[in-house]
Formats: sequence, C-alpha cells, structure tokens
Amino acid sequence: MTAVLQDTRTTPAVAAPGRRRRRRVAGVGVALIVVLALAWSLAPVYWMLATSFKSSLEVSRLDPTLVPRELVAGNYGELVGHSLPFTSYLVNSLLTSLIAAVIAVFFSALAGYSLSRARYRLRGVVGQAILATRMLPLVVLIGPLYLLLLKAHLLDTYLGLIIGYTSFALPFGAWMMKGFIDAVPREIEEAARVDGYRRFGILVRVIIPLTLPGLFTTAAFVFMDAWNNLLYPLTLINTAQKQTLPPGLLGSFTGQFKTDWGGMMAAACITSVPLLVAFFAVQRYMVRGLTAGALAGE
Amino acid sequence: MVAPTLVILAVVIGYPIVRAILMSFQRYKPLSGLPATNTGLNNYHEVFGDPIFWESLRNTAVYTFGSVAVSALLGLLLALLTENLGGRWRYVRSLLLTPWAVPLIVVAFLFRYMLDQDYGVVNAVLRHLGIIHSNVHWLTSSAWAMPSVMLANIWTQLPFFFLIFTAGLASVPNEVIEAARVDKAGPWAMATRIKLPYLTGSALVAILISVINNFNDFAKVWAMTEGGPGYSTTTLVVYVYRLAFSSFNMGYAATVGTIWLILLVIFAVLYIWLLQRKSAS
Repeated sequence: MTAVLQDTRTTPAVAAPGRRRRRRVAGVGVALIVVLALAWSLAPVYWMLATSFKSSLEVSRLDPTLVPRELVAGNYGELVGHSLPFTSYLVNSLLTSLIAAVIAVFFSALAGYSLSRARYRLRGVVGQAILATRMLPLVVLIGPLYLLLLKAHLLDTYLGLIIGYTSFALPFGAWMMKGFIDAVPREIEEAARVDGYRRFGILVRVIIPLTLPGLFTTAAFVFMDAWNNLLYPLTLINTAQKQTLPPGLLGSFTGQFKTDWGGMMAAACITSVPLLVAFFAVQRYMVRGLTAGALAGE
Repeated sequence: MVAPTLVILAVVIGYPIVRAILMSFQRYKPLSGLPATNTGLNNYHEVFGDPIFWESLRNTAVYTFGSVAVSALLGLLLALLTENLGGRWRYVRSLLLTPWAVPLIVVAFLFRYMLDQDYGVVNAVLRHLGIIHSNVHWLTSSAWAMPSVMLANIWTQLPFFFLIFTAGLASVPNEVIEAARVDKAGPWAMATRIKLPYLTGSALVAILISVINNFNDFAKVWAMTEGGPGYSTTTLVVYVYRLAFSSFNMGYAATVGTIWLILLVIFAVLYIWLLQRKSAS
C-alpha cells in the first residue's frame, strides 16, 4: 500500500518511528480515497458496458446482476438492424462533427495567428470581442438563428448544422490557437522572413508544422463540442434520416423503447467510442489549450 | 487573417444576438402567421410577473453554483491527494479523467438508467445496504429530481477541476516545498498555506469557465428530465427552449433570453473585475 505514496520529491532519510507509522496510516487513507474515486469514475462506465451485453430478460430483473450471467451481442445486433436508423445517426454525427472540426481549425489558425502576431491598434479589442461571444448562451441565439437559416433555405441541411457547430467553436478555437502560436519563438519566423517567405507562407510552412499538437487539440475540442451538441440538431434538423446521435437517440429511447435499457446502453457504448478516442489522443495538451483563452491578459 | 472569423461570428452570432434583443420588445409567434408587432416593454412586464421565470431563475442558480462548488472542492481534494502518485500509479490520473470523455447524451442516459425507480442499480444497492426500504423516485419526484441531475452533472465535470488543479500543483516551485519542509510544515499547513495560494489564479479562471458552461447547459437537463417533473428542474435554458420551440412564442422567449444575457454579463464583469483587483494587489 505504501507504494501508492511513492514520493517523487526527496524524503528525509531518517524519520522517527512514530512519524513513520503516522505516514503509513495516512498512506492507507489516501489509497482508500483513490480507490473510491476510481470506483466513482469508472463504475458507471462499467455498468453501461455490462448492461449492453445482458439479455433483455436479465436487464429487466428488479434485482440487477452485477456481472452479466451470459454475454449476448443481441442489443448491438438490433442497433444495426432496421428497427432504428442508428447507423444514419452515427454517420451523420461523424460527418458533421469532422467537417466542422476541419473548418473551425482552419479559421481558428488564421485568427489565432493574427491575434498572436499581427500588429494593429484594435487587436486587444478584437480578441476580447471574440472571447466574449463564447459566453453567449446558445439557446438565446438559436431562435434568431433558426429564422435566419429558414430564410437562407439551410434548415434541415447538414450545411446549416455545420455552420452552427463551426460558429460556436470558433471563438474558443481562435484563442486556443493563439495560445499555441504564442509559444513559437519569433526568431524562427524572422529567419523565414529573411529567407523570403510572405506572411501566409510563414503560417503554412513554419507555424503550422510547429503547432501540430495545438491544431489537433483544437480539432479534438471542436469535435467533442459538436458531438455533444443536442440543441442545434434538435432544432435545426427535422428529418429523422438526417438527425445526429444525441437527438436521434433521445427520440428513439423515449417513446415505446423507453425501457429498452439494454439497447440504450449498447447505443451509449458506441456513441462513446469516438469521443473517448479524441479525448485521450490530446489529453497531454489539454491544460495548455484550456487555459489559453481564459487567461486573457492581453 | 482574423477577418474571416469576424465575418462568420458577425453573421451567425452577432446578428442573432441583435435580432434576439429586438425581438424581446415584440410580440412574435411565427405559427400564427401574423407579422411581429412592437409592444414596447410589455414582454418585460410580463416576465417579472411570471412565476415560472422566477422558479427557473432559482433552479439555474442552484444547479450552477451547487454543481460548480461541489465539483471544484472534490477536484481540489483529489488533486492534492494524488499529487505524488508515481510509477505504475500515474495512470490512475488518466483513469480519473474518463467521465469527461463520455458524451453528454450518454451521461444522461446512464444516470437515467442507474437512477430508474424500478430497474435502477442505485435503488437496488441502497436497498441491499438497508439504507432505504422502498424505492426512491429519483428523477420523477420534484424533491429529488434536481439533486439527481446535479449528481450526473458533477460526475462529468469533476475531472475538469481535477485536471486544472493537478496542473496548478505541478507549477508550485520545488524550492518553496523544500523550504516549507525544512520548516517542518505538516500536510495540512503545506496544503492550505503553501500550495493553495499558487492555485487561486487557475481556480478563479476554471470557476468562471465552468459557471458559464453550467448557466448554458441544455443537453444534460433536457435529456434527463426535460425540465420536469412540474418545473422542478426547469432552468432558464430549458424555459427559453420550451417558449421558443414548443409554444413558438419567439418574442417572449427572446425577452427571457435577453434578461438572462444581462445577468450573465453582470456576473462576468463583476467576476473579471474581482480577478483583476486580486492580481493587482
């Protein structure tokens, strides 16, 4: 148990015996809390996985079994069968979120570069204004946005949805990219300028290759935002075949399938996979990305 | 190069905001076929006498500040306790972040299932432990619905605070820790006197981000309870959504939205003012 508390900083070589005992007790206490925290974080995920492999008979027991008696894949089979347009939800979510991520990263890189390097008088104000839009409540925007897209004949189209996702992600993305570009030394850029590169050339040939982790982190955040977004597709899409996962699943598991917990958990498992992949791929860079926009000192 | 972003934001965010503020002075129900008519401050008078507005305002405050306070405290505690995990145990930290990576709709479904009054595992476990004798209606009683939704909310956002505080702790200079150790500072003094002052900056920023996100949270509440039972979990977002897309009362929805926008701006300005005064001193 004491291995848990492997102190990375130097510890005094000699410690009084009473003190050592107290340390051991504290160590066990910490280990216990860490185990509890792990259970709190992972038990719901385990429960989702376990339920998704139970037979419908086992799921509907009033006294649930903690470990499935037998593993069946029936819940997953039904999802790809024809009872629900689950596959189209999945494809639509992947398509719109990925495209939104690519577009948002492109514009964010441009804006971030400008906010980080360009010299113009209103730079500070422009930056703050962009950041402020991040705070606006989506639901206040959605009414007028709905009317706007209605007029532009973009309601119930993927394009309308992608525009919604992109605009929502842009402010944060721009600040995130600014943070990553700030970290690139100016001297490198000067050297490229001496070599005859123009501004756009510097961005593409010098800055972008040096901030690839930043680009991927920003992309992952936009993707996660879009993947989680319930409000936009719920209001802007009304054909079932064009719907994304969140509203699609919500619609599927409210009516007659309300208590199909096995199916619901199977759908939940599949819905989680892309986000888990995106999240753990960029986890290392996350803190830098997150605080970039927030510490708006300039 | 910032121009394309500004143009996009002006069209998709700037225009809707201006339009929403204008609509807040209008009577506008698109389904009625009548054009929007200006009614001055009528909507605003109506909002202040609207009991559902006040209830959703109160719910929003409870939901936001309750969830943020609990998540921040637990996140801080966990960060302090896991600070020195090394070797094989450092993966524990990544595992503790897992809830963050779970999609919000999945969080809602998962807690709906676990808290189900008949088939939920929470009731089953509590029954076995003898804590309750009959099943609790977690999501279908007005007393328990709000705490239940907050539980799910805390589950998803605790990792955010955990990560921010872990990063903050890593930035405490080693010399400071060594000096405190030489002075024989105990673990409690070490945490409160030495480490906490280094964390205030990141804590304030994280709390601001998280309060705003919670103010604007729609997915979790809507997917778990749709604001019910009654209006017990109706936050302002849910109320505006219902007004705009169930009753198609766009004018009135815009009024509630505008008032809420003003509250948000006041909160943010106060907060940033506090933040700057703090960093100045």
